[in-house]
Amino acid sequence: MASTDQEQQQPFVTLVSGDGFEFVLPRSTACISKTLAMMFDPSSKFSEALSGRCVLENISGVVLEKVCEYLCYNEKNKTQINVPDMDIPPELCLELLMAADYLDV
Amino acid sequence: MTDRRQTRNQIRGPHSALTDFLASNNISAAQIHQDYQRRLRDAEHQAADEIEENYNQEQGHENRGELKKRKRKEDVVLAKVKQSKEFAQRKARRMGEPDDDDDLIAREMMYERSRPMPGQLDNCELCDKRFTVTPYSKTGPTGGLLCTKCSKAQTDSENKAKAKKRGPRTGRRQNQSNLLDGLAQQGALSLAEMCTKKVADNINDIEEFGDLPSQLLLRLSQILSKRRVMTPRTLNLFLRPDLDSINIYDAAKLETQDFEKIFVLMPSLTHVNIRFAGQLKDQVVGSMLNRNLRIKSLQLDAANLVSDSSWRQLFQRLGPQLQSLKLSNLDCSLDDETLEVLSSCCTTLRRLKLKHCWKLGDRSLQAISTLTSLMHLSLHFYQDVENETLINTISRVGPNLQTLSLEGFTTADDRLLDMIHDKCRLLTKLHFSENAVCTDKGFVRLFTNWPNPALKVVDMSSTRDVDNANPDGPTEATGLASHGFVALMNHSGSMIQRLNISSCRHISHAAFTEVFSDERTYPKLRELDVSFHTVMDDYIVSRIFQSCPNIQKLVAFACFNLRDIQVPPYVALIGGLKAQNSIALEGNMQPQSKTV
Repeated sequence: MASTDQEQQQPFVTLVSGDGFEFVLPRSTACISKTLAMMFDPSSKFSEALSGRCVLENISGVVLEKVCEYLCYNEKNKTQINVPDMDIPPELCLELLMAADYLDV
Repeated sequence: MTDRRQTRNQIRGPHSALTDFLASNNISAAQIHQDYQRRLRDAEHQAADEIEENYNQEQGHENRGELKKRKRKEDVVLAKVKQSKEFAQRKARRMGEPDDDDDLIAREMMYERSRPMPGQLDNCELCDKRFTVTPYSKTGPTGGLLCTKCSKAQTDSENKAKAKKRGPRTGRRQNQSNLLDGLAQQGALSLAEMCTKKVADNINDIEEFGDLPSQLLLRLSQILSKRRVMTPRTLNLFLRPDLDSINIYDAAKLETQDFEKIFVLMPSLTHVNIRFAGQLKDQVVGSMLNRNLRIKSLQLDAANLVSDSSWRQLFQRLGPQLQSLKLSNLDCSLDDETLEVLSSCCTTLRRLKLKHCWKLGDRSLQAISTLTSLMHLSLHFYQDVENETLINTISRVGPNLQTLSLEGFTTADDRLLDMIHDKCRLLTKLHFSENAVCTDKGFVRLFTNWPNPALKVVDMSSTRDVDNANPDGPTEATGLASHGFVALMNHSGSMIQRLNISSCRHISHAAFTEVFSDERTYPKLRELDVSFHTVMDDYIVSRIFQSCPNIQKLVAFACFNLRDIQVPPYVALIGGLKAQNSIALEGNMQPQSKTV
């Protein structure tokens, strides 16, 4: 139980893309995604929650980078109203849509 | 002068009207030509002088006296320029700008004068090529003129910079549009929603959707339909044999063969929803039936080219498996007899919606009363029906109903409300609008001691008497009025999510104050429509925001007493005067369920 508490205090988590790119994010930012929030929930005892590291096999580095950008953008604009949309490159939008659906953001 | 005297005595050849006109206005071509030649000479002199000066400067031979002289000369010219009319105009235009210094403007004008005139030759400042100066020649970065090619390049780069500056930004117009859609969301949109919009923006570049999940396809279809770009090409992206549902919200651009393609390419269809299906013909219905599809749920809108015999055939073939049927906007087919076929064939129907079907009348309603398996019933008739028939229908199908929507039954009376009170026990949604007979007492009886659990969705809009001869309305209130409203909120307040009481003209200020008083809260109420309530004022609206902590959308058209309301940031206030100016952040009114 003591170790779980320690994990909970860990302020950063690491997201790893299918092609090996690593992205380090604040825990609260990553947990905007409901899927990631469940994975990193200490009470779930998933290996992701224990190690603070999540490998997303089916998401490529380019897409995951954009996802991380969105997570930070969402965190930044939390209290604003009438937030302008983030810039998404058209060639990425379908892949990003699939990733967004999987990550529930 | 001598020229003119001579010409007067001479015999002249043919003369054009223009020459006469110019002569009468004292304009002479020779004069213009002389002026032009003089200007050319001046410019050449100037250029030569400049070169000489530069040469002198370089050689260091410039003597002081000459310099002083030149300075004095320049001052005289500057003073002249400052007195000119053009200078005053230019100064007035520049007022307030950082460079409105007198000397600066005067100097600028002086240099402009010394620039080559249109028609003369000059060297381009950027590429050094010799070119002819035109009125459209641009000024380069250090003040010299540019050749045509460089001018064009400069204009292009300016335009590009302007376009880039706009970038992604949500304008006021977009905000207002969102507000009307009831979106007053705090924070960013979800990534999925943003991507879906982006996909819709680039729909013409997309070859296929891959294995996009069906709920995303549904959302895409909605956005594309709203933008009216659901074309035969776009439709192809949605036709996937592995899916069991198709939702086309705007099929107006699709042709007969496109509809047939849907049924050919999607053999496992169980759910069909096609609206604005203007080109959906008998032939399409025939081919759909021939494929033995296991359609359980069918929604067609505006399919006016389908004949009655085709409808009957459809009900006979699909009847036993059909669970949900929604038809709307049919004005030249679907008559009473067809509906009798429907009621005899579709015995397992759970959901029936018939809206804006012009041919349906009393006999149709009788036929519907035999469908006792119905759990959801939604009707909007245009023809008048007997009150007895309507009451009889409710008494037979009422006990199983979970949602009931009756629109346009203008003459139904209190007995209908009593029948709903007596028979319905499972309702979660009640929609009864556009009625001019039911009284406030009837509504009070309906909602008092009703064994039905609290309703979630209620629409009682436009239940009122309209009589131009009697603008204040009848003495005894018609429609949902003060007492009925209080009874409704007492019965359903704990569960109610959406409430529409627009145009219920007899609800008093006191009734609103009572319903939205300090000690009463409606935790689930999300949408409220109070349009055309003239008693609505700033006080009641602030009470509404207090009593309904989770309200997201308040519709208040024609509430003229709303003036300075503090609208919480997460609420969309639609209608209302100057609504867009009054959005304020109030710390103590944050929604309770806003945790991530």
